[in-house]
Amino acid sequence: MKIVTEKKNMPFNIKDCTLITRMAGIDTAMNLRELRERLKICPIESLFHHFCETVIRPTFDDPEFRNDFAIWAAHNLRDRILAERLGILNPYALDDFEELRLQVLDIIDERLSQLVYFPWSPRGQEFQFMQAVTVVFETGIRLKSPEDLIRKLPQMSLSSIYYHFVEARRRTPDKTDDFTTWLLGYGNGVEPLLKSLQGIDFYFLALPELKQKLINAVQQVNPVSIS
Amino acid sequence: MNKTLKDYEIVVGRDAISQLKQISRDLAGAKVVHVNSTRVGGGVAEILSWLIPLMNELGLETSWEVVTGTPEYYNTTKTFHNGLQGNEVILPQHMLDVYEETVAENAEKLRTTLEEADFVFIHDPQPAALLDLCPNRKGKWIWRCHIDASHPNRKVWNYLRSKVSGYDASIFSMPQFAQRMDHPQFIIAPSIDPLSEKNREMSQDEIASILDQLGISGETPIITQVSRFDRFKDPIGVIKAFNLLNSHIDAQLILAGGGATDDPEGAAVLEEVKEAARNNDRIHILMLPSDAHLTINAIQRASTIVMQKSLQEGFGLTVTEAMWKGKPVIGGNVGGIKLQVHNHHTGYLVDTPEGSALRIRELLRRPEKIKSMGMIARKFVTENFLLNRHLREYLTLMLGLRRGLSNHLIAN
Repeated sequence: MKIVTEKKNMPFNIKDCTLITRMAGIDTAMNLRELRERLKICPIESLFHHFCETVIRPTFDDPEFRNDFAIWAAHNLRDRILAERLGILNPYALDDFEELRLQVLDIIDERLSQLVYFPWSPRGQEFQFMQAVTVVFETGIRLKSPEDLIRKLPQMSLSSIYYHFVEARRRTPDKTDDFTTWLLGYGNGVEPLLKSLQGIDFYFLALPELKQKLINAVQQVNPVSIS
Repeated sequence: MNKTLKDYEIVVGRDAISQLKQISRDLAGAKVVHVNSTRVGGGVAEILSWLIPLMNELGLETSWEVVTGTPEYYNTTKTFHNGLQGNEVILPQHMLDVYEETVAENAEKLRTTLEEADFVFIHDPQPAALLDLCPNRKGKWIWRCHIDASHPNRKVWNYLRSKVSGYDASIFSMPQFAQRMDHPQFIIAPSIDPLSEKNREMSQDEIASILDQLGISGETPIITQVSRFDRFKDPIGVIKAFNLLNSHIDAQLILAGGGATDDPEGAAVLEEVKEAARNNDRIHILMLPSDAHLTINAIQRASTIVMQKSLQEGFGLTVTEAMWKGKPVIGGNVGGIKLQVHNHHTGYLVDTPEGSALRIRELLRRPEKIKSMGMIARKFVTENFLLNRHLREYLTLMLGLRRGLSNHLIAN
């Protein structure tokens, strides 16, 4: 494969980010009914945190599910049916997080209608509603051309990958990653690169895996130097 | 000698240090003051020992102040500590009077420094009442609670809440420890300094020499608990667990504890421990000075298994230290230990002396498991509980508070 790029002066400034978590100001949920009530009123930022920022949070191993509600249902309520139904939700496939909230509530309502007794978590393992403050900063690394992406991707930190490839989908109008948005400005010549980026199903990948997949994907594309 | 950021690059990587420099650019010149109640002994003093110089190196003008008081004051703050951890305590008015008078005396010395600071971090309850005594403060004040306050004694908490609710923010080590307050509550897990005397690499000769000085044989498997002689650390439970081991199991137990100047109960608990260990020459009780960091390092490294059988625990930095040294940890199923010990992966969580004895026996019979768990433990600490992550979160918090805590901030 070849990339033929137009010679354009469109640098891409690599940014990085850091998160700090905070309590969302919502009471803890001790059982499924309480989870439903709290979910109805929790800030959207909290939903985003529990669905999307899980990937950047320290975890011991590759979690069974990507969102905290599914993990809590599986491990603390011991309701695997509910966990699997919540676990399949992909927040990036929906229009917005209010729609996501409605879908989660719908799944819980359906489950509550099927249960004679609603499940409780053990003491000390209640669901804690959290949210995060994200600080974004410049790294000083600049991509001057699409070929630079291939060369410099391995130097990017995991949090930088998160910011540009995952978190970007929340703040860009097309709900896509920052690299794609940038590459689109280069016209037809970067299609192979765009295609390889778009082929990555990032939602179920831990950040080290995602970074490796990105590196593999872009390195398969053979750049042609621009004179 | 203080370590520099460059020194840490070898352990945590250049990217991690570079991140710290970039985040701190916006905070350059900010005056930051940390206040606690002891310079030596205990996890808070250890954290501040590395945090202060590194914040300074990053361009923040950071200082460390210590409140001091009479034994009665420390008795009162120890009562707060016990109460926050859920113990039934007696808190008569005269103890509260001593507390308030002592903090007021300290405020006279510290007021100017604190009122001029851009950020003031008050650690734990001992200095918490300073806020109300500094009415002309210009900066952000943050109460940092290192204690497992998940189920506090209501009388103690109601009193302390009246002292901390006026802060701009508070920090807890785990979400479960946070209490409802009107200000933002952040979650920051503690960390260890991998290059400190307590955690740096040691040669086998160094370790052997220290064991020799302590009169401990390195030939027999060593089970160790390092912690203050405090009932919440359950040293008696550790002795019970050790005594439950079959006498055919060749092992020795070390209970090594340092004192902290703000812990008045240590001597009494030490006596109880000595009594429980009497007549068992396989148990070594070591009362170490608060600066015996290298000795603790050597003991942890010489150990086959490390225990932290706490009944309550804020975080358990001794767990982090042991895991950093590649040791499996048998830990109490409480507080921050649960964040670090992952059952069957980095060690075992236990609730009873019997459970502890079972897991000690299992590990001693399966040395391959000791090795594999130790490797996972070290990797887990490297990725999550070293000082660079901790410092980064402090900086992020400061930036967030300065900019007004929107969910998404762009640093300059």
